[in-house]
Amino acid sequence: MHVVVLVKHVPEPTATWSFADDLTLDRAAVEGRLSELDEYAVEQAVRLVESGLDARVTYLTLGPAKAVEGLRKALSMGGDDGVHVVDPAVHGSDALATSLVLAKALQHIGFDLVLAGMASTDAEMSVVPAMLAERLGVPQVTFGGDLAVDAAAGTVTVHRDGDDATEEVVAALPAVVSLTDRTGQPRYPSFKAIMAGKKKPVQTLTLADLGVAPEQVGAAAAGVVVRSVSVRPPKQAGQVVVDDGTAAAVVADFLVARGFA
Amino acid sequence: MSDPAPQVLVLVETVPADPATGRPATVRRPSLEQLTVARRLGTPAALVCGPADDDVVAVLGRHGAATVYVVDAPEVGGYLVGPKVDAVTAVVARGDVGCVLVTSNAEGKEVGGRVAVRLGSGIVTDAVDVQAGDGGPVVTQAVVAGQWLATSQVVRGVPVIAVRPNAAPVEPAPVQAVVEKVDVTFAPASLGARVVTRTPRAATGRPELTAAPVVVAGGRGVGSAEGFAVVEALADALGGAVGASRAATDESWYGHQFQIGQTGKTVAPALYVAAGISGAIQHRAGMQSARTVVAVNKDAKAPIFALADLGVVGDLHTLLPQVVAEIARRRA
Amino acid sequence: MTRGMTFRLLVGLLVTAAALALAGRRLHVLYRLGRLAQPVAPGRTTGAAAVLRAEVVEVLGQRRLLRWTLPGLAHLLTFWGFLLLGLTIVEGYGALFVRDFALPVVGRQAWLGALEDTVALLTLASVVVFAAIRLRHAPAREGRRSRFFGSHLDGAWLILFMITNVVWTLLLYRGAQVNTGYFPFRSGAYASEAVARLLEPLGERGNTVVEHVGVVLAVTVVMVFLVLVVHSKHLHIGAAVANVALARRPRALGALQPVRSGGREVDFEDPGEDDLMGVGKVEDLTWKGLLDLASCTECGRCQSQCPAWNTGKPLSPKLFVMGLRDHALAKAPYLLAADDAARAALPDAARAEGERPLVGTAQENGVIDPDVLWSCTTCGACVEQCPVDIEHVDHVVDLRRHQMLMESAFPEEAGIMLRNLEHAGDPWGRGGGHRLEWAEPLPFEVRVLGDDGADRLPDDVEYLFWVGCAGALDDAAQRTTRAVATLLHEAGVSFMTLGGAETCTGDAARRAGNEFLFRMLAQANVETLDAVGARRIVVTCAHCFNALANEYPQVGGHYEVVHHTQLLADLVASGRLTPVTPVETTLTYHDACYLGRHNRIFAPPRELLGAVPGVRLAEPPRTRERSFCCGAGGARMWMDETIGTRIGHERARELLELSPDVVTAACPFCILMLGDGVAAHLGPEPARPVEVTDVAEILLRSVLPARAAEPAPEPAEPAEPAGGTTP
Ligand SMILES: Cc1cc2nc3c(=O)[nH]c(=O)nc-3n(C[C@H](O)[C@H](O)[C@H](O)COP(=O)(O)OP(=O)(O)OC[C@H]3O[C@@H](n4cnc5c(N)ncnc54)[C@H](O)[C@@H]3O)c2cc1C
Ligand code: SF4
Ligand code: SF4
Repeated sequence: MHVVVLVKHVPEPTATWSFADDLTLDRAAVEGRLSELDEYAVEQAVRLVESGLDARVTYLTLGPAKAVEGLRKALSMGGDDGVHVVDPAVHGSDALATSLVLAKALQHIGFDLVLAGMASTDAEMSVVPAMLAERLGVPQVTFGGDLAVDAAAGTVTVHRDGDDATEEVVAALPAVVSLTDRTGQPRYPSFKAIMAGKKKPVQTLTLADLGVAPEQVGAAAAGVVVRSVSVRPPKQAGQVVVDDGTAAAVVADFLVARGFA
Repeated sequence: MSDPAPQVLVLVETVPADPATGRPATVRRPSLEQLTVARRLGTPAALVCGPADDDVVAVLGRHGAATVYVVDAPEVGGYLVGPKVDAVTAVVARGDVGCVLVTSNAEGKEVGGRVAVRLGSGIVTDAVDVQAGDGGPVVTQAVVAGQWLATSQVVRGVPVIAVRPNAAPVEPAPVQAVVEKVDVTFAPASLGARVVTRTPRAATGRPELTAAPVVVAGGRGVGSAEGFAVVEALADALGGAVGASRAATDESWYGHQFQIGQTGKTVAPALYVAAGISGAIQHRAGMQSARTVVAVNKDAKAPIFALADLGVVGDLHTLLPQVVAEIARRRA
Repeated sequence: MTRGMTFRLLVGLLVTAAALALAGRRLHVLYRLGRLAQPVAPGRTTGAAAVLRAEVVEVLGQRRLLRWTLPGLAHLLTFWGFLLLGLTIVEGYGALFVRDFALPVVGRQAWLGALEDTVALLTLASVVVFAAIRLRHAPAREGRRSRFFGSHLDGAWLILFMITNVVWTLLLYRGAQVNTGYFPFRSGAYASEAVARLLEPLGERGNTVVEHVGVVLAVTVVMVFLVLVVHSKHLHIGAAVANVALARRPRALGALQPVRSGGREVDFEDPGEDDLMGVGKVEDLTWKGLLDLASCTECGRCQSQCPAWNTGKPLSPKLFVMGLRDHALAKAPYLLAADDAARAALPDAARAEGERPLVGTAQENGVIDPDVLWSCTTCGACVEQCPVDIEHVDHVVDLRRHQMLMESAFPEEAGIMLRNLEHAGDPWGRGGGHRLEWAEPLPFEVRVLGDDGADRLPDDVEYLFWVGCAGALDDAAQRTTRAVATLLHEAGVSFMTLGGAETCTGDAARRAGNEFLFRMLAQANVETLDAVGARRIVVTCAHCFNALANEYPQVGGHYEVVHHTQLLADLVASGRLTPVTPVETTLTYHDACYLGRHNRIFAPPRELLGAVPGVRLAEPPRTRERSFCCGAGGARMWMDETIGTRIGHERARELLELSPDVVTAACPFCILMLGDGVAAHLGPEPARPVEVTDVAEILLRSVLPARAAEPAPEPAEPAEPAGGTTP
């Protein structure tokens, strides 16, 4: 079985970020890391193999040269190899184009199960896994809280926590599954594992290798254009009220307004 | 959007009727907010996947949905988003829809993403504001962990916009809602992920602390083990878990496994209520990723207020029960 | 030759040969074991002058032992006794060959006889003292409080018994010699003469028999003793001499050693395929490490000071060392077996020993339990106390290194801290963007590198102020940072901070065994510091101080680092700061391990407090070198302390017994832990509140009373009554 985990190299969330002149995130200017949320998917893939599933685990990433660091981090946690799609034409792509390239890459390398994190911590577009499933024409289970694979039956079973119920969902393989950060703490790789991860093979692919024309991706092909970017006023220390007997109503209003009650 | 179609389609989220309490079926608040947005952009229309009882239609009409499309087929509840994607594209295929709005949550983004691929449309998620503009809706998005605001426009296809809760107010704008039932043929690929069982949440009690969407935490200010009853009551009212500061777990007022912070659990809920907690960095280390923070503390100088979205200077023992009562009153 | 003399010679030599063979075999095994171990760092065996001095002071003078006066004195006597008794052994052997053998030159002088007899009697006396101490402090009576808890007690009693045997056999044959007329001393040897009077009734023949048998017995006892010593903890008699000679100077505290494999430093960027990462098997220790183990006398001085042991945790540095030693010796046959076949042929027990994991729970049959390994705060109290210079902290960290770097096995909460360090550069995961918040309430501008567009420290900057993670992010520590900044400002010392460009020094990561992460952080910081041209650095955190001053040279960063108490004490001494306003208060001062024991900064904070009029300083019972840890070191601050009682609470209890108004310290970690402990002891609404704060804060109150009454930060928006707002 071939398990492919989608991983993304994102700017460090605690760092100070900036935007380049073309209104894209200036990724060169800040430290990057493997998206924290993707680590959960990596962890689940590794655990599948550890619990006896006969599978090869490949990590797939799309991004600039630096993105290979994300692959290395994933490989230090376990798994077999990495695939890095890198092409200057990709710069400025939106989710539509990103999902197109990833879909082509997945078809290129082959897969039985695609795992992804619940979102990326940079652009919070958790739509890519869904788009991928759509493009690949395979079932998709999102926001899984756990994961079980029945290789013999060719199915994957996932539990998801909805707003008011827990669902058990079964899908036939091949399938795309995205996993939440409730699936289990990702491991902290030992130095030994980091060194081993550095030696695992990473294949580099370009758009040409995947048969994607440069016009299909990048800013020009985007379905969305960014008109302006501004720093959000620093999160204001919120409103503070003194309870004069009416604060309960203020709190209740607040909770209702934010959709919590 | 060279030839803007008049309808702005809102994919509606409903809450089914609860026979136990007799509460009628209703529409989730974010969907009503999206009807407000829809009115800015064109003619609001609603799509209900599943049974649309009169109560639901009435609520939608009160908030301006002139047309209520209904796709009521067993597939809609029995499979994950696939059938809803089929439903949205079926309605769009009729040709009257100029824009699709979904809620920017897990399911909404999923449906939106797939619809966008099918329609070859641009999609914007996490919208915190949407206004009409030349060449289509202008969307303001919170990006990179909410540190930046970006405005963008969809330039291809029927725009699909995932709108965050609270992006717009709920405004009544009564119209006579016309119900239109839509028959959809579901694509086999849409039926790939089947829901086998569905266990209502109530049966499982309080959610697990690190997985809970809402955490209500008590600190030394709670004063005693018995005092935690008011904390628990609020947690239950919000469907959340109970947490505690180390001061409280050290006093054995609450179990050690509920300690949040540097040497306890790390939580990142959508809502964190800190009651009687001063907000030491050792505590904050465990909850600083919470999206919304409400703090209740007697001391107006407590550092927790610096990171609270709403702070109340007051006694938690009087305030929390009042809040619970207030929530219950509004639900009734 | 008489029959008697033939008997003497034959039996004496036979016994000696057998004993030497047995002892030699043992020593050979020990030698081969040492050869198997890792080489020591280059340069470790040089430095003879210092070594010699150490030998003289420590071994001959038994400097450290003298601290425990009565037993120390007893040990000193025993030790010198042994040297002098060595002479009687020579005499005994001489008597095997020549019936009236005497040492050359002085051998027949009365004073020597008197001295030998005195030493023999004193030795007997110290045996009695030892026995009394052991009985009084018997673990059976005192339990964990006893420093002998867990020591090999049977062995110790056997040795006392053997020493008694040495003395009485010696006196026995000497007494008989007096009577038979072969005694080398005509007068002086009063004890031997007393024994002679007792033996007199046996007559000439009787005394001759007693003399022959006595000489043989004396020689036999000595030989049995030799065999016992090389097979027991009393190997320390020899090993300790070598161990003290090879010890880290001035002491095995302060900087940790780099990770070494085969004696060479491991290059973390490009490590060798088979490089060892810390100690994963007992044979991964260096031979000096094994010598440490062999040198332990099981005296338990380390254990009696260990904060972990004293708060009910399973770690005792003594038991840690003994556990490793017993395992090393038991594993020796396995390690020394020629090949797999020989290994397979070993008895089951020996093979099982060979397969024990070095770190593992009782269930896993581990030698050192993980709870033991992770309980250590690296406070260094054990190293400070050990009379034979065992380097406990280095060994603990070496074991942790293997667990961390190779096994990724460590307490879960530490993982959160490590991730935060990796991703945000501070242990709480706040990120560089928050590192300047401490300065916001100050009424003057704090200069931050880069603010004026320059990327190097301007020439007028005297000190780079290294704020540290706690100093920048922890509420209480921020107050100290502000106090120090205000005092420097007041004294006209120009300083600058790095702001968001600072990251954690890596102290906690290193002490948790994560050398890799430590190197990453340290190298990044050294790059920054070198790039901005930093030379003189002032820090408020004892851990930052230790890392910057003692450990950064290992990664190429050489700076002149001062602790804020040192700098402030200088400023007071030179009159640039004048504490005038009396601060009427009774306070106590807690020595931070990483300031005191590890770095010997004892005086400056006390000078500061002493310079403030009105202050009454009450020293706690455990102070300076013997200060009791606050519990935060060794990355323990980021691990849950669930076993036993909290170390910080125990220390707070001790300090509160002095009824102070203020508890002071000079390290943010200590202040946090003691604050926590004091709060726990006093409860929510104490009758008499006790403040926990940095010494700089006290100085500030005297120098600038108005400024010291710093208001707590206001909430960002003035509070308004709930009714007045529109939701
Ligand atoms: C090594 C170490 C690790 C630590 N790890 C953690 C950790 O993991 N998690 C953690 O939480 N802490 C941890 N701490 C402790 C931390 O430093 C704080 O002491 C602790 O968080 C304080 O808890 P608190 O806010 O409940 O209590 P306090 O700081 O005492 O605050 C109580 C607050 O309640 C308010 N209050 C009192 N009565 C009322 C009332 N009736 N109504 C409303 N408000 C009221 C008070 O004004 C006050 O602000 C750690 C400390 C150390 C030293
Ligand atoms: S360093 Fe301190 S805590 Fe660690 S073993 Fe030694 S005395 Fe105990
Ligand atoms: S390690 Fe040192 S202090 Fe501890 S028991 Fe052994 S000899 Fe004594």
